[in-house]
Amino acid sequence: MHDLKHILYFETLLDEPANELVKQAVEDGDTALGYNCYYIPETLLNLPGSFSSRLRAPHCEATPIGDYYLTNRNCPYTRAILERAIEGSYNYLSALFGAEACSAMERMEEHFETIKPVKHDPFVTSIIDAPLKSDQAALNYYKKELQDKVLANLKVLGIDTSDDALRAAIDDHNEVSRIITEIGDFRKLDNPTVTGYEFHLIQLVSEVCPHRLILPYLRETLEEIQNREPDPSPAFRARVIVCGSEIDDPEFTKLLEFCGARVVGDRYCFGSKPSREQIEILDGESPFDAICRHYLETNLCPRFMAEEKIDQRTDVLEAMVEEYKADGIVVESMKFCEFWSYEKVLASHILSNERGIPTCQIEKDYTLTGAGQLRTRFQAFVEGLEIKKIETAGAKGKGASS
Amino acid sequence: MKKELIAFIDQKLQKYDPVWMAENGVGGQRSRYRDDGTGIARYREWRGVEDTFQDYKAWLKNVGYMGAMVAKDPVKIMKGIWEYRWMGSFLGSFAFVDRIFEGYRGRELDIANIHGNAIVRILTLRIGLILHNDKRLGGGEMTDKMIGLDETIPPLFTAGFPTLNAEPMQTMPEFVVCDVDQHLDPYYIDVAESYGLAPDVCSRCSAETGVAIDDAFPVFGKLVLSTNQPCNASEATSMFQRRRFNSKGIEDYPFVFAMQHNTKNGNDYSKEELRQAIKKIEDVYGVKYDWDALFKAAKNMNHQNQIELEKWELFATPYSPLSGISESLYKLVEWALVNGHDAYFNEVDDKVIEILRQSVRDQYLPYKGKTRHRAFLWGPSAMYYTDFPTWTQNCWGINIVLNMDSTMGHNMIDTEDPEKALEDLAKFSEKGVMRHHAVGGWDNVNAVWEWAAKLNCDMVICNDNVACKGMNGVHALLEEQAAAFGFHFMFLPHDLEDCRTIPRKEIRKAVNDYMSIVMGEEPLDATLVDFDDAEAW
Amino acid sequence: MKKLFSMIIKLIRTAVIAGVVGFVLTFTIYMTNAENKLIYFVVRPFLTKHYDKQARDRRI
Repeated sequence: MHDLKHILYFETLLDEPANELVKQAVEDGDTALGYNCYYIPETLLNLPGSFSSRLRAPHCEATPIGDYYLTNRNCPYTRAILERAIEGSYNYLSALFGAEACSAMERMEEHFETIKPVKHDPFVTSIIDAPLKSDQAALNYYKKELQDKVLANLKVLGIDTSDDALRAAIDDHNEVSRIITEIGDFRKLDNPTVTGYEFHLIQLVSEVCPHRLILPYLRETLEEIQNREPDPSPAFRARVIVCGSEIDDPEFTKLLEFCGARVVGDRYCFGSKPSREQIEILDGESPFDAICRHYLETNLCPRFMAEEKIDQRTDVLEAMVEEYKADGIVVESMKFCEFWSYEKVLASHILSNERGIPTCQIEKDYTLTGAGQLRTRFQAFVEGLEIKKIETAGAKGKGASS
Repeated sequence: MKKELIAFIDQKLQKYDPVWMAENGVGGQRSRYRDDGTGIARYREWRGVEDTFQDYKAWLKNVGYMGAMVAKDPVKIMKGIWEYRWMGSFLGSFAFVDRIFEGYRGRELDIANIHGNAIVRILTLRIGLILHNDKRLGGGEMTDKMIGLDETIPPLFTAGFPTLNAEPMQTMPEFVVCDVDQHLDPYYIDVAESYGLAPDVCSRCSAETGVAIDDAFPVFGKLVLSTNQPCNASEATSMFQRRRFNSKGIEDYPFVFAMQHNTKNGNDYSKEELRQAIKKIEDVYGVKYDWDALFKAAKNMNHQNQIELEKWELFATPYSPLSGISESLYKLVEWALVNGHDAYFNEVDDKVIEILRQSVRDQYLPYKGKTRHRAFLWGPSAMYYTDFPTWTQNCWGINIVLNMDSTMGHNMIDTEDPEKALEDLAKFSEKGVMRHHAVGGWDNVNAVWEWAAKLNCDMVICNDNVACKGMNGVHALLEEQAAAFGFHFMFLPHDLEDCRTIPRKEIRKAVNDYMSIVMGEEPLDATLVDFDDAEAW
Repeated sequence: MKKLFSMIIKLIRTAVIAGVVGFVLTFTIYMTNAENKLIYFVVRPFLTKHYDKQARDRRI
């Protein structure tokens, strides 16, 4: 397939948090609002005059200052973010909205308040408590927390949080999501016209760039993919879905595809599932209520304890396998991540032993420091999937001939 | 005459008293042990006539409690020991009591043994009850009237179901027993890791997961309330455990609490959760919540908390003979396991507070006045080095005045208005084991200095659980605060319930290094500085 | 009367002897740490062997 026109530009945009478009938006007078976790609705931060910036720490290989504050026995993502914050990478932000979704994240976010690494005036840090269920009581709590800790602070920053502004934010979200979803749907083709790596880049830029500035590029890319000719024969040996925690390094997807897989589904933090679903405002609902309900319903974080949410996690994956015609699932957890360490074992067990979907469990650092080991694991997994496919085809052939 | 005789015997036998031996440079506490790492002493500690007989009486009482437990249902107890590996570990209880009260004399020993007896009493009663009604062992009359609670859910609210019996699921198989036998939980941790669980998760939760995978939970009740208390790994392991409970026909209901427990929003949410949990129990067991029964237990709890508040005032003086493990272990059991359900503990409290008041009046100096430092301990309760506070006092004269975990929910519960009681209960329950000063934001952790100052401590010791992501996340801030406030400060690395990662000896080394290098002090008992107890329970 | 008196004396004597024997026995066990030695060196190794041989229904 030919290279996408903007792919190199997208790569450049992911090279640093304060990329060209972020700088431009801030110069235009927009307020940059940082967040780390899906519990903070991106939509609430994309109000007129503000934009969301999901925090990444690209190329952060060593984290000596992060280790000092959080110890080297803690989540490498949080260490890397703190490291970059202290280095000054997020000085464009006016706020960080955090969620007490996990201890490591919460502690890292607290450091934005206690040691004040972000040199920007004003700068606000606010951390919500994130519910562990999705029933009415949990939704009420979630709404109250977002109201008091996000909306209230947005008002302080002079951002319009009226219903009209929130409606506009929902429209913006739905437009970005529509484009990303349409692009992502090309991964369902037998011979997909977009690679997992390309899609990862596209999804990431939509999360770290101001929407109004990245949208023209996304639209153009969608158009280009619509008319893109696939390779004559598929350049992959197996179709896989990636499921896991904070995977914001497209090189990870590239590595997996280099080993013969085609990543057709992305069910991880920073991925498009969840995050690129349409928000609907139901009858009688305010835009704010709709946003809260939507984010609680679609959230697939492994910290949810309610039965329906536990089932939802594996059900979604199973449905994706069907929809994207995937041969298997790679379940990732980051080192020192409590939730994903457990979820990796549990989800893999349910998917492979109870639902018959081949899975590959991996543990990785935030950066690709263990690429050699991962490559070996991926190669073995892809080979296994390929053999399974051949065996299945053989069995079908035999069945047909007999 | 009696006094003279005792003094005469004491003088004749003092050469066998390890405290005297250490004072006179002719031995010490470890002189009673073989150098084989087993921690089994050749003979028990000679503490002088009065204290030895006091300790002997307490030992006899413990033998009595255990005998009574067996006598009630010998078949089930034997079956339980045969079925459950963790029951085998409880056989180390006698050695455990000896270990944790080593070197105690006078009023310290009196209180420690009052507490020790109360702990053994309640544990034997509860173990007896659980095994008697364990379906796996044949079941009993209460089997279907029991509610399984996650060990970290404070059970006070269940007092409103007087015809039911709420029992913590993990306390016996994993939580308390790790205090008794450091080698039990590594077995369960290995089971969990053999199924792919990462070794860097909290070892307590890993052990619980192992118990679930190994099918080693007792089986009783129709419902288990799981929870997110105290933090992340607990939530995650609950999702494993529920599968095991479900496979035994026991329903699971997640009863969650706000993580940010110091906010109005959080309290309101926890209150609503509490209401729903009560409703769930009513639905599953077909019984109505009895507020009067709750109020009765709440009165016990309030009484306990009133005494607790007075205790803290007395702890601030140098005259309190209640400290270290004697304080924290009793508090853990009284709060987390009893929680207002057993008036016997109020009697114990009354007895102990009287001794404390008298000690202040008499200006009684505990540990023969050998305390050099007063420390506030930030440490979780269940940990494989239970006798650590005893060691710090005996070896270096560091008296651990209070443990962070002893500051659990201590607000009073309304005993008249159900709505108000629910609100108080929510606040009370949110600040459970390993939670009050551990999660919910930096301010909760940062409160340690206030506690330390209030208790006139010059030292803060922070148990540094290598797998605790939340506390790892405040490492540098704690060190910087210690320096800013002028406290002596130590991090003690440990792996909570996996003694293989950082053995007890290594924990002691951290203290030894600090005390000798930073403080330039000499030990009170040289035999305690460096010894091997790797094979000990 | 005399019979009753001698019975009481006998009972008291038995109780005292039992008490003394009980005390000597339990105090000896206590001081020599006998019960812990028995449990640590005999009972637990036996039980551990049994636990290690148990077939358990291990699964997630």
